Amino acid sequence: MKRRQGWLFFIIFLLTLSVYLLINYPLQLGLDLQGGSQLTLQISKEEGKVTKDELDAVNSVIDRRVNNLGVSESNLQTLGGDQLILELPGEQNPLVASRILGKTALLEFRTQKAGTSTDLKILQLQRLKIKEIFDQYSSSEKSQFDDNFFKIIQDDLKEVEQELNYSTTSSDLYGKLIEIKKYVDKEITNLFIKTDLSGKDLINAGRRQEQTNSNWEVLLTFSNSGGEKFAEITKSIAGTNQLLAIILDGESISEASVGNQFANTGITGGSATISGNFNAENARELEVQLKGGSLPLPIEIVETNTIGALLGSKNILKSLYAAISGLIFVGLFMIFNYRILGFVSVLSLVLYGFFNLALYSLIPVTLTLPGISGLILSIGMAVDANILIFERIREELYDGNTLTRSIDSGFQRANSSIVDGHITTLLSCFVLFLLGTNFVKGFAATLGIGVLISLFTSLNCSKTILRFFTTYQSLRQKNLFLPRNNFSN
Amino acid sequence: MKYNLELIKNKKKIIGFSTVLILFSLLGILYSTFNTSYKKPINIGMDFIGGNELRIERVCEAECSNLSPDSVFENLKEISKNKKVLNNLKLQFQNNNKLISIRTPYLSIEESNNLISNLDNILGPLNYESKDSRLIGPKLGKRLLTNCVTSLLVSLFAISLYITIRFDKKYALFALLALFHDLLIVFGIFSWLGIILAVEVNSLFAVSLLTIAGYSVNDTVVIFDRIRENLKSMKEGYNETIQLSVNESFRRTTFTSITTLIPLLSIILFGSYSLFWFSLSLSLGIIVGSYSSILLAPSLLLKD
Repeated sequence: MKRRQGWLFFIIFLLTLSVYLLINYPLQLGLDLQGGSQLTLQISKEEGKVTKDELDAVNSVIDRRVNNLGVSESNLQTLGGDQLILELPGEQNPLVASRILGKTALLEFRTQKAGTSTDLKILQLQRLKIKEIFDQYSSSEKSQFDDNFFKIIQDDLKEVEQELNYSTTSSDLYGKLIEIKKYVDKEITNLFIKTDLSGKDLINAGRRQEQTNSNWEVLLTFSNSGGEKFAEITKSIAGTNQLLAIILDGESISEASVGNQFANTGITGGSATISGNFNAENARELEVQLKGGSLPLPIEIVETNTIGALLGSKNILKSLYAAISGLIFVGLFMIFNYRILGFVSVLSLVLYGFFNLALYSLIPVTLTLPGISGLILSIGMAVDANILIFERIREELYDGNTLTRSIDSGFQRANSSIVDGHITTLLSCFVLFLLGTNFVKGFAATLGIGVLISLFTSLNCSKTILRFFTTYQSLRQKNLFLPRNNFSN
Repeated sequence: MKYNLELIKNKKKIIGFSTVLILFSLLGILYSTFNTSYKKPINIGMDFIGGNELRIERVCEAECSNLSPDSVFENLKEISKNKKVLNNLKLQFQNNNKLISIRTPYLSIEESNNLISNLDNILGPLNYESKDSRLIGPKLGKRLLTNCVTSLLVSLFAISLYITIRFDKKYALFALLALFHDLLIVFGIFSWLGIILAVEVNSLFAVSLLTIAGYSVNDTVVIFDRIRENLKSMKEGYNETIQLSVNESFRRTTFTSITTLIPLLSIILFGSYSLFWFSLSLSLGIIVGSYSSILLAPSLLLKD
């Protein structure tokens, strides 16, 4: 009896601890419960597997970019060997994040090949035209979208195609515009020769508004060696009609001439400005990308989930209803069939609930919708062990054994089949957790933890509570353990 | 309250019933593979093929105006610049025209945002707080599919291994037969649901199959344990002992199934819509699983 009392105190201690944990370390809610966006980024590599080093390198670049973006409470983790998951809680538009993260941000400085001035001028002109078509296309109102409007754009496009001697193959207009833009960018880049100065030589980037107009410019600060390289490069083309191009991800964002006055020393001081046509927004995006450095491998955003905050809180409410009604009806079912034993199982179920949640906040497990369904499902499984035991106790009682003896051997004999029976469920959970996606992991984790805790609550807690009850003489009546009509059998 | 299931008498009926169920499932799977637009054994959803799914509520003063999906589609056609968005677009109204749900092939975040703002122009104002948007790239979809199939195979292998170690050959074989019977039937029912109601399966369906596998084996193990135990102290004939064991564990197995079904039913009734089909397939699996553990697997053990 002493030992059982020790268990009772231990259980009360655990319960107090759980409540304490739950109050002080609130549960972490997944995005489907609190609202927010989740982006899955896939690292693409043409050949071979992504190595651990490459994964870490990509991870740190993305991490820097996200930090510089100033997103609050974001969470970045790696998944598998070649994926990253970025979570942006709350009402934060994933669009900006996706634009900044999706780019490699490979910055190059190139000098123009000699004697290509005419070619460049033609291409620059066509590039301007394409930009105008794009502007017209995206700023137009719904009312202007008639056949006439499309015809104008199509004609403009055809003109550009003729000038460039290139015909697009895309099926829709939008695709054609993008295709021709890519073609021009590539042609322009090809007129320039690579130098050994790149984004790696930057130590900082910033942005400011130009004084003469409302445009923005991006400031680059080079490292010492970068500054020397930059001086060297500018010196080599100073005073010639060759231009210096700043190329980002294969697209030239600025082509500038270097004045004759730099012919002796080049541009010194270790800094440069890019003043293409930036507005506040895309200047900031470039700044964030350059600060974070370029990605060693390109990444692709392969999944985006966005859930509104209102929907999230509705999901919490719905899950609560489901969990509570499930608990109540399971409890009623147990009490109806097993009387006092049923009541004991309800008490251990309540303990089970607290221990589970406390463990979630301790580990911590982030609660998601599938996670909650795993928890709710494990309620049924937690009762399973109790049912096995209670059935054994009933049989012992029918055989005319005393209450204490029946209870003891009921627990003892059911022990092995309970542990055994749960192994297959644990096996499934284990595989799911290893191989599953983030979404599935939540379910596997809560179901697995649930099954493990249920072994403790249904074996140990129920036994202790039952022992405690049976110390009261008035509760030690067989008809409190079995529905009365059963005795007539 | 003793139960008296006449297993020995009804052996043929039970096996016949299961055969009918299996044929029904196979028929669904075959029909789905050859006679549907998607040509797959089951209607695999966005998780596995990629795409864009959007659900968003409209803000309406009293009742939301009645709009036909066709007229919205016409409007969209007019103002959408990117025609790609409109290919294979499916649009539905639910909840008294309040909830819009849209499916399209995969879109970038930018394209999806454009679609939403276009919708806002046509149907607005929209409640962005109620937005539920999922964009899955086709590459990821393929990967998820392989992932799910691998998980299923690995865990079925692990469970089979466990059973063969734990029981002798005959028991293991029948327990596994019962397991594959359960999985096949749930799969078949969802094939039919895909054909008739266009229900799609996603990664949660694969999870439910795995959970059913664990659960169904658990049930069978408990009954087989009882049979083994009783066979050791055999008082009656072999067949009678099996029947007695089944009847002894009948209460336990049905009760456990009921206590597991109750929470699942609560999720179906009160839970989030994203868990509806998941809970349904789990419930089906538990029902079929209890049937096969109580009736089918022990019947297979009976001697003629």
